[in-house]
Amino acid sequence: MRSPWLRWLILPLVVVPVGWLLFTGLGRDPRLIPSPLIGKPMPAFVGTTLDGDQFSSADLGGKPAIVNFWASYCIPSCVDEHPVLLDLAARHGDDLAMVGVLVSDTPDGARGFLARYGEVSWPSMLNSDGQISIDYGVTGPPETFFVDAEGIVVARHVGPLTAAVVARELAVLGLKP
Amino acid sequence: MRRLALPIAMAALLALGGLVVLELVRPAAPPTRAEQARRIGDELRCPDCQALSVAESETAAAAAIRRQIIEQLADGRSPDQIRAYFVARYGDWILLAPPSPFAWWIPAAAVLVGTGVLAWWLRRGRRSAVPVSPAPPRRTRDQIRDEVEQLDA
Repeated sequence: MRSPWLRWLILPLVVVPVGWLLFTGLGRDPRLIPSPLIGKPMPAFVGTTLDGDQFSSADLGGKPAIVNFWASYCIPSCVDEHPVLLDLAARHGDDLAMVGVLVSDTPDGARGFLARYGEVSWPSMLNSDGQISIDYGVTGPPETFFVDAEGIVVARHVGPLTAAVVARELAVLGLKP
Repeated sequence: MRRLALPIAMAALLALGGLVVLELVRPAAPPTRAEQARRIGDELRCPDCQALSVAESETAAAAAIRRQIIEQLADGRSPDQIRAYFVARYGDWILLAPPSPFAWWIPAAAVLVGTGVLAWWLRRGRRSAVPVSPAPPRRTRDQIRDEVEQLDA
């Protein structure tokens, strides 16, 4: 005769792992998978900005930088993070380089967004062919990459930036929050 | 005529078998660049949609990736190199099929284990089922019937 405890053990042994996989797996956002760019040099880019100027990643000037992918149709996430970006630029204009990159957006749409929610002091790449989005593996706006002074990608944030996220990543970049 | 039926049938069968073998061993025509691009697009996940491939999606991001695939094929890069290019940027997530062939066996193994556990469970339950008691003897049944009739009266 088999021991009775085995009968009661087999059910949790099967049900618990399957249940755990289902509950944890289904609740995860696939966009939060770590970027393979972390720890690697930032992908270089060059192109036209929203203001019609030429800008390249080399113009970031050897400072820690953030590369923010955004779009005018990205509501409410891009609207929510806009004041955080404005605040960041106001406090770290001298020691942090910032650049925006439009994701599948029109220049008119982007200009309308800035006119409504606040003009910015940093350039935004038009990214008309989507090449910068591909090079950074962007899954959709908003998405932000934090780059150190050596040009190494140290973090990626998917979704709207918050003051807490900015404080955490600035510390990683060696800047005061 | 009847004597010829068997050889004719055999010849027809042999000819059919030969055609099947010929079709199987004949080298397939190399895919065109458009076909190659379509196949690669089928294997890549559209970055800004839900459960759609790059080949199926109409988003601007998917269109940019399709353009990139065609350009890279024109530059002479192989499908493996192109897939690696996108994996280096998006991670394995961009691949719709898991990169490890081992992953395909996990669901089959889970079904096999589950079936085994269920079979073991059912067999065990049947073996340990409570035996049915034998029917009471006729005398007892008569006695019960009499008592029920008395109660009903």
